[in-house]
Amino acid sequence: MQNGMDGSITTSKGISLPRPKLRALQKILRNRQGLVAVLILLPMIAFAFLAPVLPLQDPLKSNITASLQPPSTDNLFGTDKLGRDIFSRTVSGMQTSMMVGIIVATITLCGGLLIGSVSGFFGGRMDRFIMGIVDIFLSFPSLLLAIGMVAIFGAGMLPVIIAISIADLPRAIRLQRSLVLSVKSGAFIDAARMVSAPTHWLLFRHIIPNTLAPMLVAASITAANAILTEASLSFLGLGITPPEPSLGNIIREGQMYLQEAWWISTLPGLVIFAIAISLHLLSDGIREVLDPRSKR
Amino acid sequence: MADYLLKKAAQLIPTILGVVTLVFFAIRLIPGDSTSYMAGDNLSGEAVDALRERMGLDVPVWQQYLDYLLGILKFDFGTTMVSGLPIGQLIMEALPVTFMIAFLTVLIACLIAVTLGTIAAFSAHKGKKLIDQVLTWIAMLVDLMPSFWMALLMMLVFTLSLGWLPASGPIDFSDPVGLLQRIALPLIVLSLGQIATIARITRTSVLEVLNEDYIRTARAFGTPQLLVVFRHALKNAAMPIITVAGLGFGNLLNGTVITEFIFSIPGIGTLLIGGINSRDYSLVQSVILVYSFLFILVNMMTDLIYKYFDPRVKF
Repeated sequence: MQNGMDGSITTSKGISLPRPKLRALQKILRNRQGLVAVLILLPMIAFAFLAPVLPLQDPLKSNITASLQPPSTDNLFGTDKLGRDIFSRTVSGMQTSMMVGIIVATITLCGGLLIGSVSGFFGGRMDRFIMGIVDIFLSFPSLLLAIGMVAIFGAGMLPVIIAISIADLPRAIRLQRSLVLSVKSGAFIDAARMVSAPTHWLLFRHIIPNTLAPMLVAASITAANAILTEASLSFLGLGITPPEPSLGNIIREGQMYLQEAWWISTLPGLVIFAIAISLHLLSDGIREVLDPRSKR
Repeated sequence: MADYLLKKAAQLIPTILGVVTLVFFAIRLIPGDSTSYMAGDNLSGEAVDALRERMGLDVPVWQQYLDYLLGILKFDFGTTMVSGLPIGQLIMEALPVTFMIAFLTVLIACLIAVTLGTIAAFSAHKGKKLIDQVLTWIAMLVDLMPSFWMALLMMLVFTLSLGWLPASGPIDFSDPVGLLQRIALPLIVLSLGQIATIARITRTSVLEVLNEDYIRTARAFGTPQLLVVFRHALKNAAMPIITVAGLGFGNLLNGTVITEFIFSIPGIGTLLIGGINSRDYSLVQSVILVYSFLFILVNMMTDLIYKYFDPRVKF
């Protein structure tokens, strides 16, 4: 009966559950924006994670004789001051970015679903407590919250992931809570209560599936933001520290040689830009596919 | 109005207290206290004790916390760990710079974004889909550009290639022309970051208003186009625009940290990064607190403006 709201995810019959999901995937691929996003993202992800087996130069190996070489067939993105190949450093940085994006999006999605559902569904003192804490965290501009936490935890991959997750989680909790509140007032929830459906049934069969679509849209935007935040932190010298490459710290190192070697900073930035665009197109695609109201 | 203001302030007090508490205790999560960083391995036990006493770290934590709270009420954040300068004074020197940049950005961004958004809405309304779509796409692309990358591109073009605008140098309030040139690039970068969201909401809300009966009526009476835009369309679409501009302030603050860093502008963002690099945790916590206070203040002001201008909201 919740098909009316969101046909592609939930049906009232358990057996037909896998099919609509598959249909949703098909629809995303058939959706123009979704297709473009997948076409940009998939090769990038594949490339980033297959980098170790691809015939690329070692991103850490320096070669002083080839210092600050402009882009050429040998070095697609040119080389930096130490003669390291910017292209392989960028690919390696992309891997970091993708990891940060995927992990942070997963943490905030799961955490948001869990905490937001508890807060919205049970309400009362628990809700007030959780929302109080969420309000405190939302009183900081997000990058500054992440900066503050990286200052405490130190630089590196794990601290950066923790910091960005904590900075993004409150927004996810608040979104899930408001979604739960609106779904909870639906007539079908009253109907399910009438036949004395147990709480877990209400939550996992009726409420959470109906909040999933907007949460997935938000998650792909969170992934894009997390990638941008990681790059910003690393650019400021607070995230992933050299020599380990990250898109942000490659750009930071290139800033010093902007005049002699424009390629060091500009080309990796283009990659971040492409990732951000495709994740936003993906979120638009998911929104259009999962929300029947936005059909053209 | 006064009642509402009081109520709002009362709601904010627990949040502000929470923010201060969070910042105070978060800094104490760092292993070892501040003196271990300052002293290194060179100081004797007695010297470290003296240092702890001077910094007020020899009293119990709850007393440090109370002192800290009372200090904040007087805008006294103590002294920096590294140079021993009063933090409140450092912040007061840096704050006007950040403030000026943030204010000018909001002004420029709103002017440009509202114009573009209105043009897009009118084009869409008249069926000129192309202009609307091009503007919408440009807005999306600009919105997604990493700000530091955009800043470097601007620097590459306007400073290094064309030599039109400086990207570094002193900030001198007594020389307005030089000052404007100096902050032109940061302002462009920051405004571009804000324009997209404001333009998008302007387009949506103006488009919505344009379908209203009273616009048709105004047109039927022969009201000139510009008057329709300003008196009827924009005035009625102003609420969401103000809200979104206010909500964007957090992003703007994020952006100021990065642009101040790139263009070496002596605002509180630069102060913060310097504090982190020199491991001056008392400076870091104070600057982050100030950012948070600014953010809370602007959110509250947005809320008030909204309530003040919306005739449906009664106090």
